[in-house]
Amino acid sequence: MLKMTHLSKVYRTEVVETYALRDFNIDVKEGEFVAVTGPSGSGKTTFLTIAGLLETFSGGEYHLDGIEVSNLNDNARSKIRNEKIGFIFQAFNLIPDLNVFDNIEVPLRYRGMKAAERKQRIMDSLERVGLASRAKHYPAELSGGQQQRVAIARALAGSPRLLLADEPTGNLDTQMARGVMELLEDIHREGATIVMVTHDPELAARAQRNVHIIDGQVVDLSEDPRFHTVHVAEEAHG
Amino acid sequence: MHIQIRPILAALRRHKAGTLLIALQIALTLAIVCNALFIIHQRLANLSAASGVDEANVFVIANMWADLDRSTEQVDAQVRADLLALRQLPAVRNATPASGYPLRGGGWDNFVTMTPEQVKPTTDAAVYTGDEHFLDTLGLKLVAGRNFRPDEVMVMGTQQAITPPTAIVSQALADRLFPDGNALGKSFYAMGTAPSTIVGIVDPLHRQGVDQWSNGYAGQALIWPLRADDERGIYYIVRAKPGQLADAMREAPKALYAQNRLRIIDPVDGIQDYATIRHKVYDRDRGMAILMSVISVVLLAITAAGIVGLTSFWVGQRRKQIGVRRALGARQRDILAYFLTENFLISATGVVLGAVLAVAFNLWTVTRFEMSHMSMAYVGIGVVALLLLGQGAVLAPALRASRVSPVEATRSV
Repeated sequence: MLKMTHLSKVYRTEVVETYALRDFNIDVKEGEFVAVTGPSGSGKTTFLTIAGLLETFSGGEYHLDGIEVSNLNDNARSKIRNEKIGFIFQAFNLIPDLNVFDNIEVPLRYRGMKAAERKQRIMDSLERVGLASRAKHYPAELSGGQQQRVAIARALAGSPRLLLADEPTGNLDTQMARGVMELLEDIHREGATIVMVTHDPELAARAQRNVHIIDGQVVDLSEDPRFHTVHVAEEAHG
Repeated sequence: MHIQIRPILAALRRHKAGTLLIALQIALTLAIVCNALFIIHQRLANLSAASGVDEANVFVIANMWADLDRSTEQVDAQVRADLLALRQLPAVRNATPASGYPLRGGGWDNFVTMTPEQVKPTTDAAVYTGDEHFLDTLGLKLVAGRNFRPDEVMVMGTQQAITPPTAIVSQALADRLFPDGNALGKSFYAMGTAPSTIVGIVDPLHRQGVDQWSNGYAGQALIWPLRADDERGIYYIVRAKPGQLADAMREAPKALYAQNRLRIIDPVDGIQDYATIRHKVYDRDRGMAILMSVISVVLLAITAAGIVGLTSFWVGQRRKQIGVRRALGARQRDILAYFLTENFLISATGVVLGAVLAVAFNLWTVTRFEMSHMSMAYVGIGVVALLLLGQGAVLAPALRASRVSPVEATRSV
């Protein structure tokens, strides 16, 4: 489903080159629920933005659902984002000027879907996240957890092949976070492929597989006892 | 491109103040610019109004008498001597005495009636006086009837009121008085109880005034065969031979002073050719046209700046939202279309309101200042111009918006 091989991302200024990802390799199979973890600045978000075709990369290969995306133009990348990827952001990223219904409708309109089908999909996805009664509410009228559910409904409405979640519970309290996580687990059980970036070990533990990134590279935790030490030390200080 | 009118309207409802302000600005600009365009067009049309005069070769001498104690007979003798001297100049084709001349900027007007008892005048006409040389001197085109005979020319002293039994009228006046045609040989009353019979018709002949209120009567004039020998002064209208205007204008005052030095011909504007006369008389029209043009341009610039400012502000404010839209699948042209459509909806509201205001404003000027009704074409032109201006003004910020990267969606503000 998502395969990156020897992928690199370099940010260049006149005087310095910074590698955000270096010789980055990952292979996410269809139906997997993968948590990507790592300390701040490790390259988690860069990985997610490249995986979601929000950003281009500097070298290597990236196949998404069998398509090599490195040479696609902006329109083709937009089309893939629209049709194959569902985004769930830490800050929900709902459009404050639009009500819940209209927010979920945004990606469907860009797909050129007919109004009747859009409506059906929106109501189905709102049912799915338990917010069918809030269709006419504006984001500001909802709690954080509800807003994230709307964002999930927006991601689900387009029936994406891949769900990319960036710290989906980062802005939520424990109870709301648990609810959102359970929802993601349900969605996964129904067959969705989910890649979730988080630095919350408890959340990561609930995923099927964990991928850890340090300094822009995937590290195998089982073969790196140093990380375990650091991790325990971090928890002890926290 | 996916045009999303309903969600854009929904979003605009959440930004009422900015939206209404710009729509209102567009409405007021349209209302003012339409009327300004109308006034500009009218004034520019005035500038090229036909006088009927052979303007390339005709000039006017304003001759003031220095000795004011002379009898009408003495003045008339001097006038006839002056005219003879002028006509004998090698560069001069003809000359006539006159109490006024077309495009002078104002002068003798009379109400015209069909009967002496008539209380409400049929119309209004400019009155010119001159001798049998008047038509040829001005270069007027006689379209019917005949010129004055020398024996028909009467002498009118200071503060005398004489109604000559014959008159030559402009075609416009003839048509107004006798809509069925056949004005020749018919009579009218323009000064008291004596009738004047129309012996000739010229076309065109502009009146002396060019005021806005008299535009409807601009071509209505009558000529009486009179030497108006006012003791204070007289106009001599002189027609130079082709290409000899400068010579004639130089020689004419010399010839007059040689006749009699007791006269004043202002060295600055005592002798004016028709280019000068036309330029002076339409000075206000030209000034008004320039003023209206400047106001229109300034207003349009302010409106464009307002649209650029508001859209730029909204683009800045919505960077994250644009990034989210891009992340959700919007192409660059979808973002461009979003802002163009949003501006179009605001502008469309503005121009609808503005069109109503423009017509209302025109109706007010019609009733308040007796101006003409504005053609709806001006509103149409204004609407198209404002919509194009709006789309043009929004283009740069909208293009900037379309270049916002989708990765903006992941930025934490």
